[in-house]
This record gives sequence, C-alpha cells and structure tokens, in this order.
Amino acid sequence: MKYVDAGYAIALSALALYAVLLVVRRRRLERAVITASPDPGVPRVVEVSAGPEALGAAGAEQPAPAPRPGGEPR
Amino acid sequence: MNRPPERGLLSPRLIRAIGALGLLTTAATVWLGLWVTPPDITQGNLVRLLYIHPAIAFVALYVAGGLAALSSVLYLWRRTRTMFWDRLAAASVELAAVFCALTLITGSLWGRPTWGVWWTWDARLTSTALLLVLLLGYMALRRVPAEPAVRAKRCAVAALIAAVDVPIVHFSVDWWQTLHQAGTILNPELDAHIHGSMAWTFLLGFIAITLDFVWMVAMRYRIEVLADLVGDEELEVSLAERWAEGGGPAATPVPEPAAAAAEGGRP
Repeated sequence: MKYVDAGYAIALSALALYAVLLVVRRRRLERAVITASPDPGVPRVVEVSAGPEALGAAGAEQPAPAPRPGGEPR
Repeated sequence: MNRPPERGLLSPRLIRAIGALGLLTTAATVWLGLWVTPPDITQGNLVRLLYIHPAIAFVALYVAGGLAALSSVLYLWRRTRTMFWDRLAAASVELAAVFCALTLITGSLWGRPTWGVWWTWDARLTSTALLLVLLLGYMALRRVPAEPAVRAKRCAVAALIAAVDVPIVHFSVDWWQTLHQAGTILNPELDAHIHGSMAWTFLLGFIAITLDFVWMVAMRYRIEVLADLVGDEELEVSLAERWAEGGGPAATPVPEPAAAAAEGGRP
C-alpha cells in the first residue's frame, strides 16, 4: 500500500498547496490593486455574476489606454 | 483612469459552490478509493491509484489542454480576439502543467511496483513528458517582456504547438506497441473494462478532479486580470514620475510629427 498512499498523499497535497497559493496570490494582488487605486478602499476589480454571454463581455473589457498627461489621447 | 470594472470568470458564489463540491467529491473519492472498493484480482491494492491517476490525466490533457487550445484559437481569430481568451489560455496552461506533472508522478508510483521501473521511454510516457515541457515553454514565453498583444499572439501560437501533442498522447497506445495499457473506457471499442463500485469510484474521481480544475481555473483567471491591472497601475505611476521629473507635461519632448498633429498641422 505504500505506493498507493504515496500517490494519494502527493497528488492531494500538491493540489491543496496549489489551491492555497492561488488564494494567497489573489489576495496579494487584490490588496495591490486597492492600494494603487486613485480612490483607496474602492477596488477597481469587482466580481459580478457571469453567464455565458458575460464570458465574452468580460473579455471585451480590456483596460482602455490611459490619457497622456501631455494632451488628449489621439 | 476611468475604466470599466473587470469581471471574474464566474460569480463568487458559483466559485465557492464549485469549490465546496470539488472538496466534497474529492473526499468521497479518497474514502471510496482507499477504504470501500475491493482490491483488484490482478493488480491488488494498486488499482486504488487508478481512481485518481486517469482522472488527473484526463483533466491535464482534455479539459485544461482543450480549453487552452480553444482559447488560443479564439484569440488568434480576429473576430473573437479579446484579452479574455488570452487570460483564459494562460490560466488553463498553468493548470495543465500542474496536472500533467501530477499525472507523471502518480503514473510513476503505479509503474514502479507494476512494471518494475519508475520510468521507461514508452510512447505514452514520453509524449506526456513532452507535453509538460511544451507547457513549461509556454509559461516561460509568457514571462518574456513584450507588448500585451504581441505576448498574447506568441503565446497563442505556442499553446497550439503544445496542443498538437495532445492527440499524440491519446493515440500513442494505439499507434505504437507500448507498455502502458490502452484506455479503460476511452478505448477504440468504447468498452468499459471496469464495473460495480470500482466503476462508480472511477467516475466520481473524474467528476471530483474536474470540479477542482474549474475552481482553480476561475481563481487563476482572476489572478491574470488582477496582475494586468497592477501592471498597468505600475506603468502609469512610472510614466507620471518620468513626466514629473521632466518638469511636467509641457516639458515632455514630443516627436515632431506628433507635435505638428497636436497643433492642428499635418504630420
């Protein structure tokens, strides 16, 4: 059984570790976005329910180019 | 600075529900696989590894690999080209690499007592290892500094090159004489060689790992969106600092044609 136990232990612990890392990375980035936001405390990223139509719409939301301080964007 | 809010891949409530369901089904698979199902006549207790190994391989190859390929095609196709597909492909590829590595590890742990070796240059094993290398190559390519659109296009092409290996992995057991056995269910005759509680546990393993993948890909996609936003913020801050150092926007050197255009003249 040692190979079986090792297989389950490695697979499940790796997946659990990866899941924890995802949560940590997400929280760290969320904090960074809130800190960098011009209005602190208001996150620039909000989560809304997304159906199949929203999947496409979400992708369309590319960040618009920031206006240059030197004048209107051309 | 006024930008529309970015959306996640799925709603937070749905992500939480999928995560909980994934956790529950994974726990049930482990309980059934390790304690409830009987040992196999020929493989003995080693059959228990097959409740997770094929499920992980299925997600790595067909679910994550398929999603990465589909997203890349949709990015490369002009009509559907948005950063959504690029981010989804990036999220899928990273997960495909994680699941592909676990496929090789769990397979090796099954192969050692069954075949007597940790590794052999078998067609199925070699093509799977090649897929992992290609996926790691995609991830390395993504880190190469470039314009977002250029990076997305390069990566989409790299994902499609990696995707060519997926059917090779699948059919390797049919095309070549291999040590690896043919599919238990996905064989040419589509004849399931597994029955009873073993079959149900096998199926539950597929559902559990797929649910885990869906939760992870939703989380990973959100990280991609956040990372892009943070990158943009940093760029804006550094540009503002540059302009401030140069004595304000008025002192910013403007290329001649652009300056002429700004003044209303012809460039």
